[in-house]
Amino acid sequence: MKKRLLLLSLFAASICTLGAHAASMPADTGKAAAAAPAPAPAPDPPLVFSGSVDTYFKYDFSGHNNIPTSFANEQNSISIGMIDLGLKKTVGKASFVGELSFGPRGQQQSIPNADPGLATVGGATGTAYSSYHIQNLYVSYNVTDKFNLSGGYMSTFIGYEVISPAANFNYSTSYLFTNGPFQNAGFKATYAFSDKVSLMAGIFNDYWNVYQSAARVNTFGAQLTVTPVKNWTAYLNLITGPASGTELDLTTAYQITDAFKLGLNAATFSAPTGTTGGFSGVALYPQLAVSKSVTLGLRGEYFDTKAGDFLTAGPPPGEHVTALTFTANIKAGPLTLIPEIRFDNSSKSDMFTDSNSAPTSSASQFVLAAVYAF
Amino acid sequence: MKIIIAALACLLFAKVSFAQKDLLSFDEHNKYIYYQVVDEPGLPADSLHSRTVYFLKSAYPKSKLKQTATAISGENRFVVYGGVSILKHEKGEIACQVNVEFKDQKYRVWLTGFTFTPYQRDRYGNFVPEQGIDIPLETATSKLDKKDVDSYLDEAGAFCKQLGDRLKIYITKASVLKKEETTKKVVTDKW
Repeated sequence: MKKRLLLLSLFAASICTLGAHAASMPADTGKAAAAAPAPAPAPDPPLVFSGSVDTYFKYDFSGHNNIPTSFANEQNSISIGMIDLGLKKTVGKASFVGELSFGPRGQQQSIPNADPGLATVGGATGTAYSSYHIQNLYVSYNVTDKFNLSGGYMSTFIGYEVISPAANFNYSTSYLFTNGPFQNAGFKATYAFSDKVSLMAGIFNDYWNVYQSAARVNTFGAQLTVTPVKNWTAYLNLITGPASGTELDLTTAYQITDAFKLGLNAATFSAPTGTTGGFSGVALYPQLAVSKSVTLGLRGEYFDTKAGDFLTAGPPPGEHVTALTFTANIKAGPLTLIPEIRFDNSSKSDMFTDSNSAPTSSASQFVLAAVYAF
Repeated sequence: MKIIIAALACLLFAKVSFAQKDLLSFDEHNKYIYYQVVDEPGLPADSLHSRTVYFLKSAYPKSKLKQTATAISGENRFVVYGGVSILKHEKGEIACQVNVEFKDQKYRVWLTGFTFTPYQRDRYGNFVPEQGIDIPLETATSKLDKKDVDSYLDEAGAFCKQLGDRLKIYITKASVLKKEETTKKVVTDKW
C-alpha cells in the first residue's frame, strides 16, 4: 500500500512539475524570445604573436654595390635582414599593435636614429646610434563598426611595398618605396561608407619616419579606398606637409583570376618648402601562381626625378631609371625562398659603375633570400 | 595495466580530436555539410522562426540573413587559427551558408558551401583576408597543405557543432519565462 501511495505521489509530483513547466512556457508566436537573455557574441580573439625572420645572399654582377634602393644591399655576402616580432591584442572595441625589429633591415637601413646626438666611445666621438627598433606601435578603437580611430607610430599608408619582407613579393625594393615614407607617427580616423568605399584622414608629425616631431604635427594625410569590383581594391593616397613635401600616390591590386594578380603603384612627389624638384614613377607588379607552392612575378618600374635641387636615392635630378625584377616565391609551409634577378637601366651613364668602376648606364644583381613568417 | 589505461586514454583523446572534422559529411552535390534535425515539442514553427532570427542576430551579428515564412538563410564567416601555443594566430576565414527551416515542433539546420580565404599580415601588423582568394574546402588540398586543410575542417566542424548546440540551447531556454528577481529589503524606520 505504501509503495502504491509512494508511486502515486511521485506520479502526481511529476504531473505537477510538467504542469508548472507548461505554465512557464510563453504563449508566444516566437516574440517571447526577445525577453530571454541574448546569446553572447564570439569572445575576443587571443593575444596574437607573429613575425618573421629573413636572410639573403646578394651578388651584383659588377662586383660591387650599384643599385641604391633599400635593403638587400650587402655585396657577395650571406647577410641578415631582420627578426620582426609583433604583438596584437583586441579587447572589445580597443586594440593595440606593438612590433619590434632587430637587424640591419629593421634598424639602421630603415628606422630613425632615436638619439642622434654625439657619443664618445673608446676615446672617439661620433654620432650616437640608439634605436627603439619600432615598426608599429599604436592603439586603435572602433567607435562603431564603420568608424575607427588610431594613433601612434604606424607603417605608412603610402605605396605598394613595405619594410617587412613577409608582406612583399619581391625581396629588393622599388625606387618609389625607397624614396617614399616608411612610417608616419600621427592620429587618424577611418570611416567606411560602405563595403566598397572608405576614407581615412589624419594628422601626422612634420617629418616622415620619425618617432618625434621636430616642432609641429602639421602633415596631413588622407586615403580613399575604393573597391570597384570584387577582388580589385584601389587606394588613392595623399600626404602633404611643409617640412616633408607632398606625395600623391595610387596603389592598387586586382586578383584577376585565382592564379593571376596585377598590382600597380604610381606616385608623384614635390619637394618640401624651400627645395625644388621631386620625383614621379610607376611600377607594375604582375604575378602568376604556377602551382600551389610556386608563384612567379615581375616588377617593372619607371622612376623619374624632377629638375631641381631635391636629391633622391636614385638618379640625379632631371634623369630617369627603369628597373626590371624577376622574382619567384617558392613556399614550403611558413618558409618562402625568393630567388630574384634584377636589371636597372638609367637614362644617363653616370648612375652606375661597371666592374672597372667606370660609369655605366646599367646594373644587374642576383638575390636569393629566405623569409620565414610565423 | 597502467600502460593499457594510458593507451586507452590516448585512443579516446585521438577519437575526440578527430571528432570535430567527422561532424561534416558530404551532401548529394559532394559538398561538405553539417546537418541536424531537432525536435522541439510544443513549439510552433513561427516561434522557432523568430527565436532563431533573434539568436542569429545576437550571436552572429555580422551574418546577413534572408528570411521567408518557413526558412532563414544567410552567410556566416568565422576565423580559423593556426600555429601552436602563443604563436597561434589567424590563418584565414571560412565563409559558409547557414540554412534553417521550420515546421511545427521541429526545425532543421544545415551549414554548407564552406570557402576558405587565407589571411596575410598587412603593413599595420593585422592579419587580413587575401583579396580574391576563395578556396572551396572540398578542393582545398590542391592549393593548401593537407595538414592545414584537416585543421580547417576540424575548426569548421567545431564551429558548426557550436552553432547547432547554441541554437538548440537558446530555443529551449527561451521557452522558460525569465523569473523576476526579488531583492530582499530591510525597512529600518519601522521597528
